[in-house]
Amino acid sequence: MRVRTAAKRCIFGLTLITGIFPASAAEALDDGAALEAKISACASCHGSDGNSAREGIPSLAGQPEKFLVDQLILIREGVRRSELMRPFVRGFDDATIIAIAEHFASMPARPAEGSPNPELFARGRALVQSGHCGGCHLPDYSGRAQIPRIAGQREDYLAATLMAYRDGRILRPDTTMNNVMHGAADDEIRALAHFLAYATVTH
Amino acid sequence: MKNKDIYRQLEVRPQRRLQFRGIAVAMAGLALVSWMGQGWAQGWAQGRPPELENSPLAPHAGRLTVTPPDQIPVDRIQLPPGFKVEIWAHGMPGARMMTRGDKGTIFVGTRQIGRVYAVSDNGNTRTHRIITEGHTQPNGVAFRNGSLYVAAINKVMRFDGVEDKLDSVPAPKDLTKDFGLPSDGHHGWKFLAFGPDGKLYVPVGAPCNRCEVHPDVHANIRRYNPDGTGMEIVARGVRNSVGFDFHPNTGELWFTDNDADWLSEHGPQCELNRVSQPGENFGFPRCHGHGIIDPEFGTSGSCDGVTLPAALMGGHTAPLGMRFYTGNMFPEEYRGSMFIARRGSWNRTVNVGFDVVLGQLSADGKRAAISPFMTGFLDTAQNTFWGRPVDVLVMPDGALLVSDDHNGAIYRITYEG
Repeated sequence: MRVRTAAKRCIFGLTLITGIFPASAAEALDDGAALEAKISACASCHGSDGNSAREGIPSLAGQPEKFLVDQLILIREGVRRSELMRPFVRGFDDATIIAIAEHFASMPARPAEGSPNPELFARGRALVQSGHCGGCHLPDYSGRAQIPRIAGQREDYLAATLMAYRDGRILRPDTTMNNVMHGAADDEIRALAHFLAYATVTH
Repeated sequence: MKNKDIYRQLEVRPQRRLQFRGIAVAMAGLALVSWMGQGWAQGWAQGRPPELENSPLAPHAGRLTVTPPDQIPVDRIQLPPGFKVEIWAHGMPGARMMTRGDKGTIFVGTRQIGRVYAVSDNGNTRTHRIITEGHTQPNGVAFRNGSLYVAAINKVMRFDGVEDKLDSVPAPKDLTKDFGLPSDGHHGWKFLAFGPDGKLYVPVGAPCNRCEVHPDVHANIRRYNPDGTGMEIVARGVRNSVGFDFHPNTGELWFTDNDADWLSEHGPQCELNRVSQPGENFGFPRCHGHGIIDPEFGTSGSCDGVTLPAALMGGHTAPLGMRFYTGNMFPEEYRGSMFIARRGSWNRTVNVGFDVVLGQLSADGKRAAISPFMTGFLDTAQNTFWGRPVDVLVMPDGALLVSDDHNGAIYRITYEG
């Protein structure tokens, strides 16, 4: 829920400060709007290059196209519940969703800026290796098909999402992540998220 | 006695799990790696042996977008001589289990995309509507006395008089509490069918790849009165059945069952089973396939008293929807036989299945011989596939419908001699 609150704050903040968001949002909600307007509405929170600079908002850059298509469709259908995202994608047809996914999938993902905490980074790397995260997410954690890129994703988003999986607050048809995370401690999740956010990205 | 002990252990398990979790959390600060590799993984990766921990094998992702009919290479489908296939309906991502209304509407369940479709036949063309959406894997559909029953995780709904209101389907009656089914996501999606006894049959899969289960809760097939009362378990030890039908003469329940992952490339084999008496045990989790004792949950003698399959369906092939052929259009040898859709494997390096097979009954009616019927979805040279048959349905004119959730299409097979 932290993610949702943060995202709401992001939109609310943008609305107050710049006034940009409502205009692009209104355009995006119009089914006849140009694709560029829709993409720019996405970019207003997720970052113009798809690398999010906003707390709680995930980066979309370099995600597998299939993963982005699936998530947008599941949000549109109300299966993946997101009060924040659904109004934007509700009117999107499959072709629009595919085009948006292609756009963000083709953008290079950037790892977190600055330097990692060496201790936390090492602990996270050990956990990622012992947890065999690379089996599904690939050895460079860049994801494949329906499985998301986790390398270079925002640290706060990763931590919040992994905790939500652990606590059963995210339930998807594939229950593997719930069960992989079952019993994980908060500080272990923080280490995982820290390592992955700084993991070298090869695209 | 041994079983009783196990179930006694199961009853205290929730508490033990909490204790373990508490210990794990307490020790987290001390150990670098405190929880991973402790066997908690219960998704499709559960039971994966250490030497395959980095295996890229994972369930194939379904397509959630519309596949235009010109991108469905139906001409690659192969059938025995005299049979023809056409795309009967399309544009329905995730189309899976099918049932037919009294007025001819075909209702189609889905998993991930959360919709139920209604297909109306206008003669030469078909139109479809989304009649309900936003559900968690509404896979099970069955029709009786003007009402459509839909089972999702965990939700049972009844849409009364639905065929007269397809443009604006009223809110369904919620029967979830009446059926009281478990809410597990893993193997929690449902198949539904009414038996000749007027009861609604519902499978409850094991919430794991391989694990201990409480036999009165998981890994069984149940039947209910249509209002959710009178529950009775008709088959036990059933890992995950997503398709069944009743013999047109004897009324016996025949069902498909998906067997365990990760035990080997080739098996244990998936199953076609026949229930000769209510409550029969089909082996899970101790005895798999044609009598393979589980290396972890079984001991010698674990297959004693277990009903072995009426036919072996191949390792990891995912046999799902099956129906007896009750039509008159197809030649004599097909009448009273079964068509079985095999959605195809993910848990082996070489793909198998991706077809519809024919199951022909033995003279004593207890076993079936399996042979290919509808093939061509799988390119064995490239190890790729372009379609995944999920369910079959016999139409009043004797044609056979086959759903394909990869392309969101329904094919129609006819015989022209």
